[in-house]
Amino acid sequence: MIVKLTRIEVQSRKDLEMIDITGQIESAVAASGVRDGIAWAMTAHTSAGLLVTEGIDCLERDVLAHLERLAPKLPPEGTYGYWHNRYLDFDGRLGFNAGDHLKSILGGVNCLFPVENGKLVRGSRQRAYFVEYDGPLARTVFIQVLGEGQALGEGQKEQNT
Amino acid sequence: MRKPGIDFHTHPLLVREMVERYPELAKAARETYFIGNNFQPLETFHLELDLAGLEKAVVLPMDATTAAGATVWTNQQIAELCRMSARFIGFASVDPHQQDAPERLKRAVRELGLRGLKLNPPMQGFFPDDRLAYPVYEAARDLGIPILFHAGMSWEPGSRLQYGYPLRFENVAADFPKLRIVLAHLAWPWVVEAVALALKYPNVYLDTSALYFDNPRDFLKFAMTHQVPLTVFERSLRRQLVFGSNYPRVEIKNMAAAIDSLGFSEECLDLIFRCNAETLLGVTP
Repeated sequence: MIVKLTRIEVQSRKDLEMIDITGQIESAVAASGVRDGIAWAMTAHTSAGLLVTEGIDCLERDVLAHLERLAPKLPPEGTYGYWHNRYLDFDGRLGFNAGDHLKSILGGVNCLFPVENGKLVRGSRQRAYFVEYDGPLARTVFIQVLGEGQALGEGQKEQNT
Repeated sequence: MRKPGIDFHTHPLLVREMVERYPELAKAARETYFIGNNFQPLETFHLELDLAGLEKAVVLPMDATTAAGATVWTNQQIAELCRMSARFIGFASVDPHQQDAPERLKRAVRELGLRGLKLNPPMQGFFPDDRLAYPVYEAARDLGIPILFHAGMSWEPGSRLQYGYPLRFENVAADFPKLRIVLAHLAWPWVVEAVALALKYPNVYLDTSALYFDNPRDFLKFAMTHQVPLTVFERSLRRQLVFGSNYPRVEIKNMAAAIDSLGFSEECLDLIFRCNAETLLGVTP
């Protein structure tokens, strides 16, 4: 049984942004030596997410726009407010990004794929996205690959990735 | 669309490249400045400016050696950061309790190329009108650099609010008419007093980096339209108001969007985001 955890950094460049990380998950699988098992990815953050959808620009826009409608950064004036809008002494700053935390909950923070014959198994339209809800920020994503196979040496890992 | 401007109030506390070079900066960020955010590559700072439509940022240190036994970035570290990016304008900080503070300031400006002075009376433990600080003010005046004072509310547990009360700056403004001073954070909650000072003394400026409850949009709407009508800023203080975010306590993008949302004229926004900062820095068009 191989259990291999990889941390990758994703630099978001916008306030709201979807970043395709399918290739990085595939690389982590290839470097793990796992032949048959699962690959699981999770964001380390609570105002960002991971989700799987079709990899086309129009859909990326729709996903972000819909989540912003459901959990707006700034609710329309005079409607409602967020309890999170207060000083957080442990953070040394105000929390005013409740909408971004809520988007993270709605969109999810992880995704899971089968691994077969050393390859990530996914539908032909499926892509794995890191989703930024409060960027720009350098973010961390955990990718864990578990399964049967043979652990690779350093040279083999480079060859496979 | 605004012309690219300047954020006059940022703290480079989270710049990872510098924290990796100087591990003590991590302790200063956490234990002196009390900021809990993750350290970020320099690129994130640049992207924050881009997203807010800004070109440059004033980066601030804090020398609280006597009051807190700590500095939050040294003048040398600020100068080093400025060498890493042309988008930063470095300010110095000196401890007014130290007798050689004026000399330190002169060296920071002449040898390190820093372009202003940051003082934080609540963190540094002195009243702005205490004569002990006057030699520092004289040095700043003679160097032709502005002083950005923390004013108003302070979050830091060791600081005392009384040191940031705006009327304690009046003697400084009156005694040093050629010294340009900026009261940060609109001196909130004493915005009315800060506005009174700025109305009376043309060498008193205010920066917008105020956020103490709600969110940037709603807070600045309260402070800049309810506490004091927006027309006072637009008509009377248009040349004495500069944009500041207080990043990373607040993201630059959010503070810039909040100022944009208040209803200032385009001409006034250009003054707030660009022209007034350039005047303070002695930049001639």
